[in-house]
Parts: sequence; C-alpha cells; structure tokens
Amino acid sequence: MTAPMQRVPDLALVEGIMAGDEGALAALYDRYAGMLYAMLVRILRDTSAAEEVLQDLFLQLWRGASRFDASRGSLPTWLLVIGRNRALSRLRGREHREFLQDRDEFAIETVPSPGNLEDEASRAQLMERLKGALETLPPEQKEALELAYFEGMTQTEIAARTGAPLGTVKSRVRAAMQSLKQCFDDGTTRQSGRS
Amino acid sequence: MERHANPEDPDLYALGALDGEEKQAFEAHVRTCSACARDLKTAQQRVALLGLAAPAVAPPPSVKESLMRRARAERAPEAVRRQEAVRPERLRGFAWLTPAFGVATVFFATLAALIWMKDVRDNRRIDELQSQLALAQSRTVEIAKAAEETDELVGVPGTMQVALAQQLGSAAGRAGVLYNSRMGMVMYAGQMAPAPEGKSYQLWVVPSTGAPISLGVFSATDSNVAMSAHVPQGTVAKAFAVTVEPRGGMPQPTGPKVLVGAVG
Repeated sequence: MTAPMQRVPDLALVEGIMAGDEGALAALYDRYAGMLYAMLVRILRDTSAAEEVLQDLFLQLWRGASRFDASRGSLPTWLLVIGRNRALSRLRGREHREFLQDRDEFAIETVPSPGNLEDEASRAQLMERLKGALETLPPEQKEALELAYFEGMTQTEIAARTGAPLGTVKSRVRAAMQSLKQCFDDGTTRQSGRS
Repeated sequence: MERHANPEDPDLYALGALDGEEKQAFEAHVRTCSACARDLKTAQQRVALLGLAAPAVAPPPSVKESLMRRARAERAPEAVRRQEAVRPERLRGFAWLTPAFGVATVFFATLAALIWMKDVRDNRRIDELQSQLALAQSRTVEIAKAAEETDELVGVPGTMQVALAQQLGSAAGRAGVLYNSRMGMVMYAGQMAPAPEGKSYQLWVVPSTGAPISLGVFSATDSNVAMSAHVPQGTVAKAFAVTVEPRGGMPQPTGPKVLVGAVG
C-alpha cells in the first residue's frame, strides 16, 4: 500500500513561483481555481468574463509572488478578496473605487481564515456549512447580504433596490453576519478540536 | 471619550456597503480605536469567505492552458532576476557578449523584424540587422526566447513601434516599445543607467482615458531590460512612459518620468 501523497503547502508553491517553476503555478491553480471561478461566475454572470478575471488573477501571482506577504493572511483568502474586487470593478465600472483597483493589491491585509483552506476536505466542509447557513437566513437578510457581497451594492443602493429603510438594511446585514459568525466559529472549533 | 462605531458598521464596511459620511467617520474612528479595528478584522475575515457560498462550477481546461502559455511567455520576474544573476558564469566563454549588448541586440533584432515586415527599402540595413538577429539567436537561449516573443508581435498587422524619448534632466537611457493594440501586447527593450539606490524603473501605459497602468517593474540593479507585457483588454494606449519609483514599484506613478513616447 502506498502512503498518501504529501500536500505541498501554499507557501512552498509561492516560493516555487518566485523561482520560475511553472509546475508550482499549475498546482496552485488546480487547488484554488474552482473555488474562485464559482465566485467570479456568481458575481459576473458571464463565464467568459469570469475566465478572464481568473486568468489575470493567477498571472498577477506569477508576476509578483515575492510581494505576497503570508503574515498578512492566507493565499486563498487573498485570492478570494482580490478576485471579488476585480470582478466587482469589472461589473460596476472602474469608478467604483471601493474595490481597491488603484491600490497595491499585494498589500491587502486579509487576516488568517478560520479552518484550513489549503486542505480541500476542510474547504469543502466550510463551503457546505456556509451554504447551509445562508439557506437558513430569512429571505430579506439573505438578499441584503447577497446584494452587498455579490453585486457590490452599498447600503444606500440596497435600500433603494429593496425599498427598505436604510436602518432596516443595516440591521438585516448585521443579523445575517451574526448568523454566519456562528457558522464560522463552529468551523474553527471543529478544526482545533481535531488537531 | 469618543463613542465606538455602530455595531453593524464593521460588517457593512468589510462588505464595501458602508457609504457617505458614515464610511468616512468609521474609517477615522478605526484608525484610533483598537477594539473597533479588531472587530473590523474579524468582519473582513468572515466576509472574505462568503465567496465560498457560490454554486460550484469548474473553469474550462482552456483557461489553465492559456494561463500557462502566458506565464511561460512572461516568466516570473524573480526567476528572471535569478537567472540574470548567474548569467556571467554561464557566458564566461562569450565575455564580449555583455548583458547590455545582449539587450541591445534584442532591441535591434526587434527593429529588424519590424522593418522587414514593413518592407523598408534599405536592403543593406536590413541585411545588417538580420545578421544581428541570426547572431543573437545563435548566441544565447535568453535572446532567442525574447526574439520568439517579438515574433509574435511583429508577425501580425497593427503592430507599431514607439520610441521612448529621454526626458530633460534624467539619466542617460534609450528604449523602445512594440505595441499591438488588438493583441494587447507590448514588447519593451531598453538600456538605461542603473536606477538610484532603493529605486526601480517602472513601465506604464497611459490610456486615452483613465489612470496609467503598470506594465512592469525593472530590477533596481540591472537596468538593461527586454520584456513583454499585456495591456488590459479594451485599453487604448495614448503613450508609454518609464518612471523612477520606490523599489518594487507603485500602483500609480509617483516619481519623475525618465522616458516618454506617444503612440501614433
């Protein structure tokens, strides 16, 4: 019986990229492209546009991997944050300056993520828990959260879209995030419980 | 004592949903309140992962194929620097072929290919330049690779040459760009004085509308550069420029322009 293959840590693959190892880039792509593409398609609702953003994201990593600072956050979280920023910028036009397109994206502080996103099984579990938690939210809370996250709307825009008062929009987002907090906290507890 | 932020503000801010005066007030407060800054970090952590809730869908294999092709064409800048560091050892037998001459050869080889495509009448000059191209291709793998990338550009209609002019007061240097707007491809070749201590040269495309877009940062110690870059889709280039920036480059130009060339 053969031993299971050792997973190469993200950081080692980032160092591989710095050394010009195309295999390292391919490995990181294989690890995270699915997760990122799903988010990009959901935001852009256009597979061609999502493919372009996905490719550009990994090209940026290829061009400047040495500037990725692991102490600021994990690579998958960084990819998710930058991917969302780029997709929303594209969706809404460059004047939507909230989304950091004019800042050094490598300097974004994403903070460590709960659980271990490098591990595919842990990532899949977190995805399932998250989807489950979103499904249990009251529809108006889920709508407010999705308009903000996937469409990049501000609270004022959400209020205008839904016809709800601004204060109500704030409360809905707050309540939704509180419900998800429980989901993330459970995940962290399970992770640390295992180790 | 200053009041803490509203409890919902960290979540709204992390989502990018806080706007107007509330956003400004929150940003100002977080700069001075460690408790609210901590809340914001936690909110950012959760918000970052919301993308995982999107329905699963796999990208087509062509995306990876195209990515790897482009990565191969560009190479990781760090790897290029490492290779340049060992080049003197590898080229000991060809001491006359200094890196500066290598870059200059690529540049003239590029011009030769362009001139050939445009069917310029000066056949004698073309012969000279073609022989330089042949020489370059036979001498080093690096030059052959750069020439290969150049071929991609000069082999198609619409490629134009932009000479970058030295700006008043800047250190001596010369460079040129081959640019094809339809392909969104740029080939830069230049020979310049070393960048000042702690600084890098940075190449920019200045679009007809909007802010300059970075196309790459040169090593602070090796100013002889030949490189290719991609201009974002839909960008109409008005000019190319090289500026002096803090080492590693900046998201937008902040330093003096040393080379500038208008398109068209």
